[in-house]
Amino acid sequence: MVSTTSTRHAPAEANPGPLRPPWSARAFIAAGLLGAAVAVTWLTFWWIGLSPASLAAGLGDTARLLARMWPPDLPGAGDVARMIAETLLIAVAGTGLAVLASVPLAFTAARTHRGPRWLRSAARVVVVLTRAVPTLAFAILFVRIFGLGPLAGALAVAVHSVGMIAKMLADAVEEADPVPAEAARACGAREAQVAVSTVLPRVFPALTAIVLYRLDINLRTSAVLGVVGAGGIGVALQTALGSLNYHRAAGIICVIVVLVLLLELLSVAIRRRTRAGRSAGDTTGTAALPAGRAPHDVGWDRGRALRVGGAVATGVVFLVSLWSLNPDPGRLSGAWTNLSAVLTGMWPPAFSGELLMAVLESLLMALGAAAAGAACGLVLALLTAVNTTPWRPLSAVVRVLLVVVRGIPDLVYALLFVAALGLGPFAGFLALWISCTALAAKFFADSLEQLDPLPHEALTAAGARRWQAFAAGIWPQFVPSFTGNGLFVADLAMRESVVLGIAGAGGVGYLMQESIATLRYDTTAAIVIAIAVVVYAIETLARIARRHLL
Amino acid sequence: MIGAPVLRLSEVGKGFHGTTVLDDVSLDVPQGQFVALVGPSGAGKSTLLRLVNGMYVPDRGTVRTLGENPAACSRSRLRALRARVGFVFQQFGLVGRLSALENVLMGSLATLRLPRYGVMSYPRALRVRAVEHLDRVGLADQRFQRCDTLSGGQQQRVAVARTLLQSPELILADEPVASLDPAASVLVLEILKRISAEDGISVVCSLHQIEFALATADRVVALRGGRLVLDEPAAGLTADRLRAIYDAAGARDG
Repeated sequence: MVSTTSTRHAPAEANPGPLRPPWSARAFIAAGLLGAAVAVTWLTFWWIGLSPASLAAGLGDTARLLARMWPPDLPGAGDVARMIAETLLIAVAGTGLAVLASVPLAFTAARTHRGPRWLRSAARVVVVLTRAVPTLAFAILFVRIFGLGPLAGALAVAVHSVGMIAKMLADAVEEADPVPAEAARACGAREAQVAVSTVLPRVFPALTAIVLYRLDINLRTSAVLGVVGAGGIGVALQTALGSLNYHRAAGIICVIVVLVLLLELLSVAIRRRTRAGRSAGDTTGTAALPAGRAPHDVGWDRGRALRVGGAVATGVVFLVSLWSLNPDPGRLSGAWTNLSAVLTGMWPPAFSGELLMAVLESLLMALGAAAAGAACGLVLALLTAVNTTPWRPLSAVVRVLLVVVRGIPDLVYALLFVAALGLGPFAGFLALWISCTALAAKFFADSLEQLDPLPHEALTAAGARRWQAFAAGIWPQFVPSFTGNGLFVADLAMRESVVLGIAGAGGVGYLMQESIATLRYDTTAAIVIAIAVVVYAIETLARIARRHLL
Repeated sequence: MIGAPVLRLSEVGKGFHGTTVLDDVSLDVPQGQFVALVGPSGAGKSTLLRLVNGMYVPDRGTVRTLGENPAACSRSRLRALRARVGFVFQQFGLVGRLSALENVLMGSLATLRLPRYGVMSYPRALRVRAVEHLDRVGLADQRFQRCDTLSGGQQQRVAVARTLLQSPELILADEPVASLDPAASVLVLEILKRISAEDGISVVCSLHQIEFALATADRVVALRGGRLVLDEPAAGLTADRLRAIYDAAGARDG
């Protein structure tokens, strides 16, 4: 309890006890991460030959390219509409197929699964593998198997999405309260019945949110799938760039940017609406029984009509999107022979020194860009977050700018830089740097705004200066989310750096593209394995670091 | 024993978005006095305290805190004034990830020029004093414990120690025990009371439990609907009488 010191400064002064805090593992991990980030950035700069002079030259080349692209040449309105429709339908078909596959997969992979252990492990392997290999890598393979066109694109979107949807859904299943499931089991229900009646209803809101989130990502991805011939508006971009028709390429890029920004606005509006609906306490579902209805009949009210109507409409859109992929039987049967050729050609995987160097290059590009992007993103986030911005109007300007920069797919940046600077990791690094900066700025600004404002207020009330109140009241709170989001950006950058290689921007993606073009499927298999291992390793490291820092 | 007023409010009024929160409030607080500010939520207690250290600016009337008018101070002068006025928040305002000692040390920021991060970035003399103040609130042994692992009562005591490191001449406490259980509340109020008595620091403490106000304060000031409805020494008051005055004021308002 309270020490009973009667005079003001008596005993503690004689022996104040330890004044230096004990060393903690946390401090070591934080210092290690910071050191690693600096070292990796430096190594990356050395590897790709980045110096102020080369950067200035590169930006000059890029500016000249942009000047040559002006004025943009838009394709006809009918063409634009057709390309956009194809792009959207690829995303919808891919996401829908992924959901169908993910739901059983997620229940099998969840820790609460009661079936045989090997089944659960197999499901987890599928989840990890499909999540680790980027959509565009699958797209290259599927174009080889199913031929050029949107079918390959939709399947690539579907396979990669399965990993993320199933992982997030499995987390939701694991978090669901186990007692209702116990109760159903106690009534003698089968496992499948338990899952459908007690777990599915409770993870349904999570599933909806996950699917919308993934659809959002897939819409952006499908806009660039065409770069490898997998359908959508990207095909036109690749054709224009390949034939050095830069005015047309600029026009297509404008269409892609506007499309992605419109989708961003739409998803923001939907998110705002669902949040508003939830906070307003939507009671349509719990209304009292309408008069004249049999007590055993659910009956129709506005809420149920909307839900059923929405579900039916979603199903119809999904079927239309499947039909638009043009999956005629003749083509599918031809795919079988291709598939078996690819699969048999993949064994045994052929690892080589060249491959390992390419993986290292991708890794360096990703980590260097993530570290540099996190540093730049932090500055931008401090300028935009409402609780740290020095000047509100500046915050609004930077915010709009970031949305636009983030709206442009990084593959488009990579294509531009490759066209301006030539093939190689320098172009890839610049493209990744831009997208990592914009992404990090958004994550950081969002988490800065969620911090407890009270310590800052308390220090201001105690007469602290602006920077002091920030360093003591905001920064220490921000460190965990800074680290976590920074690692997450590194994780995303790793996946993206593979993708950028496919556009010729250095690293392992370029090698993968080449191996498929030359029918060296054993090299392809080795590359896929290497990508999966590296991505999984980074993800695991990030998870461990996050757990020890929070 | 009781000298010049450390705090003087003259006919102060304050509103937000067209609603009046404080209306014609006048109050003198002499040195060393423990004033309990009582009233229901929305009565204007928090607003009054925030006018005193310049976090809000009054619409009408004047505030004089330690001889200064916070509304008319320059930024650096306002910082200097705030350094002399301690503020204790209902929700503590501690950084949960940091140790108790580092949180206490933050109270000294106004005397330092540069930003600080980490216990070792503060001078040794300040660390010695911070430990003394932690000892005064009975938490010297928990100095290196993360604040989010302390109980609510312990966190509020850390916040009081942080305020003490400012060597304040006036402490403002905004519902300091509203988030605490009864035992922790009594302890925190006892500490505030003891500091006030031993160091001669004036304390203005808003409370919504009348019993705590009567047990702790020298003087009770009641607000209702933004107006001062009672200002009497605590010694002459009983809970029933306070409630009666209160209800009468409410009836007049209605």
